[in-house]
Amino acid sequence: MKFFSRKPTRKKNWWMDWIPILPFLIFCLAIMILPLFYMLKGSFTGSEGQFTLDHYAKMGASIYATSFKNSILLSGVTAILGVLLGTVVGYFICQLKSKRAQELVIALCDVTSNFSGAPLAFAFIVVLGSNGVLTLALQKYLSMDIYPEFSIYSFSGLILSYTYFQLPLMILLIIPAIAGLKNEWKEASLGLGANTIQYWRFIALPVLSPAITAGLLLLFANAFGAYATAYTLTEWNYPLVTLQLGFLLTGEVFRDPGAGDAMGILTLILMGISIMFYQLSVKRGSKWQQ
Amino acid sequence: MATIRKKKSLPGLLIGGFLFYMLLPIVATYIFSIATRWDRSILPEGLTLEWYKVAFADRWFLIVFKNSLVLSFSTVIASIVIIVPTAYWVHLRVPKARALLDLLSILPFAIPGVVLSLGLIRLYAKPPLMLARTPTMLVAAYVIFTMPFMYRPVVNSLKAVNIKVLTEAAQSLGSSWLRTMGQVILPNIMPGIISGGLLVFATIFGEFTIATFLVGARYKTFPMQLVYYTRRDGRIASAYSVISFTIAWVSSLIILWVAAWGAKRTTSGGPKKEKELKINSAGDQS
Repeated sequence: MKFFSRKPTRKKNWWMDWIPILPFLIFCLAIMILPLFYMLKGSFTGSEGQFTLDHYAKMGASIYATSFKNSILLSGVTAILGVLLGTVVGYFICQLKSKRAQELVIALCDVTSNFSGAPLAFAFIVVLGSNGVLTLALQKYLSMDIYPEFSIYSFSGLILSYTYFQLPLMILLIIPAIAGLKNEWKEASLGLGANTIQYWRFIALPVLSPAITAGLLLLFANAFGAYATAYTLTEWNYPLVTLQLGFLLTGEVFRDPGAGDAMGILTLILMGISIMFYQLSVKRGSKWQQ
Repeated sequence: MATIRKKKSLPGLLIGGFLFYMLLPIVATYIFSIATRWDRSILPEGLTLEWYKVAFADRWFLIVFKNSLVLSFSTVIASIVIIVPTAYWVHLRVPKARALLDLLSILPFAIPGVVLSLGLIRLYAKPPLMLARTPTMLVAAYVIFTMPFMYRPVVNSLKAVNIKVLTEAAQSLGSSWLRTMGQVILPNIMPGIISGGLLVFATIFGEFTIATFLVGARYKTFPMQLVYYTRRDGRIASAYSVISFTIAWVSSLIILWVAAWGAKRTTSGGPKKEKELKINSAGDQS
């Protein structure tokens, strides 16, 4: 079994084994870790190189605070929508009698979870822009004018287009968990006199809860970091964290690098926490899916 | 009986609504791209291929299409070269480094494209380096950005086949390292490499954010041109969108097909976790 450690020289030079992975580690360090540390340093450094908390203090100013509020709201609302609808739709997909239909809908989720960014934003303009296909159909057949209350270029439009890429993601995440719900559990609980609500309340939901938590966190991070969809729809007119960062980034001359660094670091903290707890939830949930 | 019938119609309605929501934007965009006019009537006024002709006739079309292809292929190759040997080696010889690699490969999920670009520009855009705004740096950033997509399926494939036994068998028969890697290990983890590579390819072909910030107008990509046209000419934008969608769904279908093929080959069901790796693909492009 210990084929390679049989040679006595191995033990002495255990670090030799690490040499082949050094290029990879150096690459990660140079392209991922160092730039983030440089940002961290920059977020605490003033214009004369002194230590300062000014950049973080600036985050309380209206434009930055509004961006964080909007981003958290947009990510939160679309994460909750995605989780609620995704769980329900996912459950009914699992209930589909035809295996073939099930596979088709799951394949559709797979495919659509890859649709995002600019082409997706444009597709929503085609459907729900002020002259969009659905906008006109509603006007003609239901005499319903969705504009100006609704606009694809505003918060309501962002919610609709973000949910589009959140929903299939949640379905892909929840289906293995739902498939892990054993029929025997339901039969046993019903046999013992529980009703359907009790079955859901005490058995199904607790088993699904790690996947649901994981979904909420992943979808939140997913929406929070999104840029292209929002940029295509609103340009920079709607204050979101990523759009604000993008605005600071454009142009050869960097506008207010310190504020950019601070905003980037806060984003990383928020996303990092979400992804960390997402990972923990996935680990916790996987025990039901054996 | 009545309740059963009611229960039956509710799922149907929900799944129907879901399908409508997911399919309408895509189908509408495909039809829009071949409609003469579709902004004042319920149905398209006529059908035409004019918008594709206009799109293709523009000299930028070939440039941006080529640039995006070059970026996608370069990223896939760089990603395979950097990640596959490392993952193999770690699983064979340095189990202690596994946790570190798992952590590094999940980290990009927590780094939005804008933030990664910001960090790279802040660190590398100043003289004397001036590396940040080059296509090479863009490919490097892309390798990081898509690392989870390549790393996860490759690791799943490595776990599905017993690489230790395979390597030992090959070596005891006198095979060199290079030959072991190329003729024994690679063919066995091919399904993972192919699905990872396709996912990386599709993601990078549609990537807008990092490309805009790192290289911008100096190296225009397909999605940049698409965004440009959404503001200027919806007709051409629709042709671009259709091409984008088509590349995305064809890649997804091949990935599903490869996963099924891989699962059949390795009866241990190694790539069953392939779903997991897709989980972030949406956000990465968005």
